[in-house]
Amino acid sequence: MPRGKVYATCDNALVDIADGDTVLIGGFAGFGVPRGLIAALGQKLVRGLTCVYSPGSWPEYAKPSGIGQLVANGQVEKLISAWPFTQDNGGIVKNAWQSGDLEIEIVPQGTLAERLRAAGAGLGGVFIPTGVGTRFAEGKETRTFDQDECIFELPLKADFALVKAHTADTLGNVIYRGSGRNLGPVMAMAANVSIAEAARLCEPGGIDPETVISSGIFVNRVVHVPKS
Amino acid sequence: MLEAKRLDNNAQARRVARELQPGATVALGSGLPSLVPQELPPDTSVQFLTESGMLGSLVLGVGSLVHSGFVDSNGSPISFQPGASVNSTVDLAAMLRGGQVDTAIIQVSQVSRVGDFTHWTSAETPDLFGPGFSVDLAAGAKRVIALMPHVNEDGSSNVVPECSTPIDGAGCIDLIVTDIAVMGMSASGLELLEVAPGWRADDVIALTHAQVAISPDLMEMNCDSSPLNARVRKPSEKLFASGLDALSDLPNGAVVMIDGFAGPGGTPHYLLTSLRDHGAKNLTIISNTAGIARVVNFGTPLGKQAIDHTVLFDNQQVKKAIASYPVSPSASRPTAFELAYRRGEVELELVPQGTLAERLRAGGAGVAAFYTPTGVGTLISEGKETRVIDGKEYVLEEALRADFCIIRGHQADTLGNVVYKGTSRNFNSVMAPAAAITVVEVDEVVEPGQLDPEAIITPGIHVNRIVIRPIDFSPYE
Repeated sequence: MPRGKVYATCDNALVDIADGDTVLIGGFAGFGVPRGLIAALGQKLVRGLTCVYSPGSWPEYAKPSGIGQLVANGQVEKLISAWPFTQDNGGIVKNAWQSGDLEIEIVPQGTLAERLRAAGAGLGGVFIPTGVGTRFAEGKETRTFDQDECIFELPLKADFALVKAHTADTLGNVIYRGSGRNLGPVMAMAANVSIAEAARLCEPGGIDPETVISSGIFVNRVVHVPKS
Repeated sequence: MLEAKRLDNNAQARRVARELQPGATVALGSGLPSLVPQELPPDTSVQFLTESGMLGSLVLGVGSLVHSGFVDSNGSPISFQPGASVNSTVDLAAMLRGGQVDTAIIQVSQVSRVGDFTHWTSAETPDLFGPGFSVDLAAGAKRVIALMPHVNEDGSSNVVPECSTPIDGAGCIDLIVTDIAVMGMSASGLELLEVAPGWRADDVIALTHAQVAISPDLMEMNCDSSPLNARVRKPSEKLFASGLDALSDLPNGAVVMIDGFAGPGGTPHYLLTSLRDHGAKNLTIISNTAGIARVVNFGTPLGKQAIDHTVLFDNQQVKKAIASYPVSPSASRPTAFELAYRRGEVELELVPQGTLAERLRAGGAGVAAFYTPTGVGTLISEGKETRVIDGKEYVLEEALRADFCIIRGHQADTLGNVVYKGTSRNFNSVMAPAAAITVVEVDEVVEPGQLDPEAIITPGIHVNRIVIRPIDFSPYE
């Protein structure tokens, strides 16, 4: 049973995840990847997930603890990413895509971040210049502001966010570490239920208020997964 | 014909490194660009923005890690000179779009004669690839350098009349550095500027599918170690002797952001008096209040008057205020703005506080406009476009930018990294990126490295000038 926001296990924290949910998963270049939550999700019988995962050019998909296992399990219907594929990722994503089992939406990383932020900040959409005149503008509304052509991008909302924290307090205030910060803060904002997998758990007051990156208001559940 | 030797990846990276100016902010895409930092001297003043969110001058081949847990765009561990900061992906994207990056370096698959490109990861599977930040880099950086092999393994040229697959950037490449040549973009098209040692211009052109003119100043590529000028590190150049010095080039008619919430906390009192003494007229000020600290007296000692925007109105410097709370809470004690407004001396654009923050954020983050639900059906949305998105009505709001921004920090290092104290953070952090010139007033200036990279709120990339609030300065008159 959870104690406030604190859940005993990753499995418990994912208790109400359902078929067809949209799940944001943090991580970049092997840092800030919520491996405990991903592994627990891999054990669930949920399918038809839309996953947002954008881990850099790094063979993250091939790792047993990466989301490649969710794709290999057939749990992922759609992947939204700026890096759905790199030359050395073991071919898990590529094979699923080529066989038609996986839909992929490629989004520039900054646009992905901005769409998540728009969702987290309650915006209806944003006009940004990224990708004007390219394949990323196809089928989208464009408009010129002050002589700069922009593309209209919609918010990217989600049911769950799985993020990796360096330290969380029991109220859900979170700090990250180094490159592990990446998409964690914006994903925590953008989902209905955000779960932080924290290497360290502390009482309120254990984190300097000036240095909190994700305020507890954005984090619904915390699981303590000490570094093994 | 026996072909001359092609440059290896490191030599290409060395050539690119020679393009980087002292103090420049350089963003690196994935792949070959990650080789560029190691071609600069260890004490370089060039600072790099990596796709992992790190901002700072890299240290390579040095055993002492400044901070563990940093990786570059390819996931390789990196360390930084003191003064680096950790940024989230959102912040990084905002820096790129917001025009904070001088030079971006991208590995590409093809470049067209008009500077379109396709990303290197799309070479094998054009529909399944990983553009990462490259599209953002190309859209936001002032100058974009493409790094690539001149020809493919099958002998086909990568410099083409038109890209053969859907493009990832339109007309954005300024310089092409390959393993046999350097090409630039001129008004009339591609221009061959340099050839690798042992190569003749004709041989390069034979391997270039796109039409290219030979520069009259054609040179041999210089792939020697990075130039000495990149060594110049002048960390104190942002430090100004006084508020007046820091605002000396603020022109009449300027748009000026002034941070602060309501009371004395977080207000750049010293810079406000400097702006008054400077005397610039016809200013448009963007601020949460238009100065209410004086009339509400929050935290003000008895018999004293807080310094706020009043000093500018009394000096008749303001023609327009953009604010969310321009009036006094008490009708019997009107603010200086209200009195000037009633006299018809000043215009007002009223903006809800959250919308003000979001418009400022948009200004700094390269977002031209956004739809917000705030103010739909009220006076605020009159004359503005509204739109129903996903069943909910929104109003369109546009970004706010300024010529100058004056903010109040607690500590800054000499590179301009800033931390705040308590609620004084308020609008400071969101205004700093939104102005052409941001001036911060701090209690203390420290050396780079003395602020925890994880705890820096405003990275130095957003701060142009630093002044120390004089020790005997009083925020009250």
